[in-house]
Amino acid sequence: MKKEDTVKLISAEGMEFVIDKEAAMVSQTIRNMLTSPGGFAEAEHGEVTFPEISAVILEKICQYFYWSLQYSRGKETEFHIEPELTLELMMAANYLHT
Amino acid sequence: MAMYIRVKRSKTTYFIQCDPTETTLDIKQKLHTLIDQPVNDQRLILMNTGDILEDSKTLADQKVENDAVVALTLRKGCFFLLVFFFCSFHFLEMFLIAHHPFPVILIC
Repeated sequence: MKKEDTVKLISAEGMEFVIDKEAAMVSQTIRNMLTSPGGFAEAEHGEVTFPEISAVILEKICQYFYWSLQYSRGKETEFHIEPELTLELMMAANYLHT
Repeated sequence: MAMYIRVKRSKTTYFIQCDPTETTLDIKQKLHTLIDQPVNDQRLILMNTGDILEDSKTLADQKVENDAVVALTLRKGCFFLLVFFFCSFHFLEMFLIAHHPFPVILIC
């Protein structure tokens, strides 16, 4: 695991989540941000700020990324979502195309 | 990747991919590449139980499961900081004695 293989996702409050690029790429939106040509700051520094997403939701999203990777590799577990998070989580998922 | 753990310190959360058979030392080495802190200066605490993770034991041994939250603390140069504080305290005392010998002796 190298530093270059990770990305930092920053929530509205400034909480930082360092995850593998591979996991972040589960989101089509983040994939586009990180791979689009033209030397965008996001791609160069591996940092993406989400001023609209709170830390609780962003952490859940990161957990989902990893769950998704595990699921695709044949580990079939359930992904638990607290009912009070569902609405915000759906809005974030819509934005992130996950 | 069989599992991942969430390593938290102040405002940052590191998602670390790992295997139940890996030892705590392996995790610390992975963290070392991310945060440039020597392995010996890291201490990992399992948040569920509050137990300090031991370098030689595996994650499975210490009941660290998938999606577990682990707190990271770092050893900073405490000793030197202490020495510095003591020195500066003595300098202050000497300075005070030199200038106002009487009140300081009273305080002491």
